[in-house]
Amino acid sequence: MKHTFKKGGIHPGSFKTASPDIELLPLPMTATVLLSQHIGRPANPTVQKGDKVCRGMVIAENSAYISASVHAPISGTVASIDDVVLPNGKNGRAIIIKAAPEEHEADTAARNSYWSDTIPAVLSRDLSESLTADEIRTRIERAGIVGLGGATFPSHVKIDLKPTQKVDTLIINGCECEPYLRCDDAIMRSCPGYIAEGIELIMKAASISRAVVAVEDNKPQAIEAMRGALDSMHNISVMSLKTKYPQGGEKQLIEAVTDRRVASGALPVSTGVIVQNVATAFAVWQAVATGQPLIERVVTITGDIPAEQRRNYIAAIGTPLSDFPFSLPDEARAIVGGPMMGKTAVCLDAPITKGTSGLTVLSGKGRRPVQPCIRCGACSDVCPMGLDPYLLATYGRLRMFDEAAKADVADCIECGSCSWSCPSSRPILDFIRVAKQRSRK
Amino acid sequence: MNLIICSVLVLGIIGFAGALMLYATARRFHVDEDPRIDRIASVLPGANCGGCGLKGCRDFATRCVEQGSLKGLHCPVSSAENTSAIASILGVTAETAVRRIAVLHCNGSCQARPETYVYDGALTCAIMDATGVGTRGCSYGCLGCGDCVAVCKFGAISIDPATKLPVVDTDKCTACGACVNECPRHIIELRPSGRLDRRVWVACSNRERGAVARKTCKAACIGCSKCVKTCPFGAVEVNHNLSYINPDLCKTCGKCVASCPTGAILTSFTIPAKTATES
Repeated sequence: MKHTFKKGGIHPGSFKTASPDIELLPLPMTATVLLSQHIGRPANPTVQKGDKVCRGMVIAENSAYISASVHAPISGTVASIDDVVLPNGKNGRAIIIKAAPEEHEADTAARNSYWSDTIPAVLSRDLSESLTADEIRTRIERAGIVGLGGATFPSHVKIDLKPTQKVDTLIINGCECEPYLRCDDAIMRSCPGYIAEGIELIMKAASISRAVVAVEDNKPQAIEAMRGALDSMHNISVMSLKTKYPQGGEKQLIEAVTDRRVASGALPVSTGVIVQNVATAFAVWQAVATGQPLIERVVTITGDIPAEQRRNYIAAIGTPLSDFPFSLPDEARAIVGGPMMGKTAVCLDAPITKGTSGLTVLSGKGRRPVQPCIRCGACSDVCPMGLDPYLLATYGRLRMFDEAAKADVADCIECGSCSWSCPSSRPILDFIRVAKQRSRK
Repeated sequence: MNLIICSVLVLGIIGFAGALMLYATARRFHVDEDPRIDRIASVLPGANCGGCGLKGCRDFATRCVEQGSLKGLHCPVSSAENTSAIASILGVTAETAVRRIAVLHCNGSCQARPETYVYDGALTCAIMDATGVGTRGCSYGCLGCGDCVAVCKFGAISIDPATKLPVVDTDKCTACGACVNECPRHIIELRPSGRLDRRVWVACSNRERGAVARKTCKAACIGCSKCVKTCPFGAVEVNHNLSYINPDLCKTCGKCVASCPTGAILTSFTIPAKTATES
C-alpha cells in the first residue's frame, strides 16, 4: 500500500494540463526586484540609484540570521529603489533595474549559452566530495536560495543545524499537491541528474545520511526520471505517495514518509527530518556547481487559458507577470500560486518573486453565496492538522482570539481544505487567518 | 411541659453550635478587601470596554486602590466629575485629562474613490486587508466593511451609506480606543476634542507620491505642503508625502482647509466664509 498522511486531506483533482516542457522566457528590459522575497527580515540594499549592476551581482544582502540576499536578474542601471505595487495591490520595497539594449543582448546571449552549454557540461558526480559542508552552506547563503515550494524560508538557515538537533533524513519534496501547478513536475522530468547532485550537496552540507525523494503517484514520469537518475545512489530513494492534498505541507509530508508526527508548536526538524523542495535542490546545485545565484526560477502559467499558453517557463526574478505570454479572459481572475493557497492578483504589472511557483487563471463566477453553518463537521474531517476549523472560524469572526489560541489556531497550516469542503461555502480559512494573526499579538 | 423545654434546649444548642461554626469559618476565610474598591467600581461606567488597557472596570478599581493614586491609570469613558470622584475616594487630586474623539484619516468616499476591484470574500476589514488592496484600489485608506462599527461598545460609529465611510458620533464617542486597535489599516486616531469642539485634521493616510495617490483617490493628500506654508502656527508637517496636523499646536483657524487643492483637510465645524476667502 502506498503511503500518505493519515488525518484528513482532500482530493481537489489535479488539473495538471500544462505542458511538462520548460522553455526560456526572454529577459525583461526592466526588472523589479523586491527586497522581501523570503520569510524573515527584508534584505538591505547594497546599491544606490544610478549604480551599474551586472547579472548575478548581489544588490541586497541578508540583514539578519533569518534573511536572504537578493541578486540582480539582469544587467543594467539601478533606476530607483522605491515602493512598487505587489500582485495583491499593496506596496513593497524594490530595486528597479533598467537594461540598455546592448546589455540586454549580451545578457540574453550569456543566458542562452548557460542553459544550452554550461549546465550540461558541469554535470559531474564528485562535487559533494571535493567541498566541505561549510563551503557548500556558504555558497548556498551567498546565492540567496530560499525554499522554492512557496514558503520561501532561507535554505542556508534550514540546513544550519545546532549540535543538539539530530537529523537522519532529508526529504526532497516533489509532491506538488497543489492542483494546476506543474513546475516541480517539469523540473523533475527535465533535470533529474542535477537534482540528484543537489540532494547530495544538501546532504553533505547538513551531514544527513539518508534522503527520500517524495513524489505523488499522479506524476509517474517524474518518478521514473528520478528513479533513473538515482539508480546508482543507494542512500537516496524515491518514494511514490498516494495523491492527496495537502501532502506537500512539511508536517504532512514528514508523516507520510517517515510516520513521525510533528508535535504542536514544535519545528519539523524536531522529528529528525529536514524537508527541501526539488526546485530548491536544483537551485542549490546551480549555485554550487555553476555559481549562478537564485536569479531565475521555473514558473507555470496554467488554468482556463488555451492549451498552447499553458506552459512552464524559466523566468528571471523581477519579470512582470504581464510579460508572460498568456491572455487573461474577461471575467477571469489570475491567481499567483495555485488555486488552493494562491492569492488573486489585482495588478499584473507586479513582478514575480523567488516564491512565485505559477500563475493560475480561473474563470467562473467566483465564490458561491455563503450560507449558515449546518454543523456537518466536514471541515473537521478534512483538516490535516486535526483542528476544528468551524470553531476556530467562529472565534475569529467573534473576535475571541484568546479562545482561538487555546484551541491551537497557531497549528493551522492554511491549506484551505476546510473552505474547499464546506457545503455552505463559508469562508472558514479567511476567519481562521484573522484569528491566527490576531492571537499572535 | 418537659417536652417543650427539651426541644427549646436542643434546638438552642444546635443553633448556638451552628453560629459558632459560621463565625469561625467567617473568621478563618475572611478576605480583606478595601471598601474603596467597591466605591470606585460603583463610580466607573461598568461597560468593561477595556479602554483603560485593563480587564474591566473592577480590575481598574483594584489597580487604583493598589497603587493609591491615578498615576498612569485613565478611564477614557468616565467624565471629568467621575474622575475627580474617584480621585477623592483615593484621597488625591485628579489631573484633568483632555477629552478625545476618534477621527478617521480617510475621506475616500464613493465619489472620490470609486470601486475598481470586485471582492467576493467575507465582508470584514481584517480579511479584506489580508487578501489584498481592497475594492477601492487604495492600500492605505478605509475598507468600509465596518470592523470599527462592530467593536464600538458605545454605538458611536456608523457607516454613512452615501460615502461608505464610518462616521463618529461625537457625543457618544468615549475615546476608549477599541476602533483604533481594530482597524487593520490603522487610520483611526484619538484626537483632543478641541476648544468648542473644533477639530481640524488631514483625512488621508496615503503615503504615495502625489501623482500616484491622486490616481486612486481624488481626495488624497498629495503632500504638496501648501498647508504647511499657510499655517500661521507651524502646526502642520509633511512626512512621506502625507500631511499631519499636530493637534497640540493647531488653533483651528481653518486656513489650511481652503489651501488644500484636493480637499483632504476636514473640520468638525463650518468655517466662516470670511476666513475661507482670505486665504
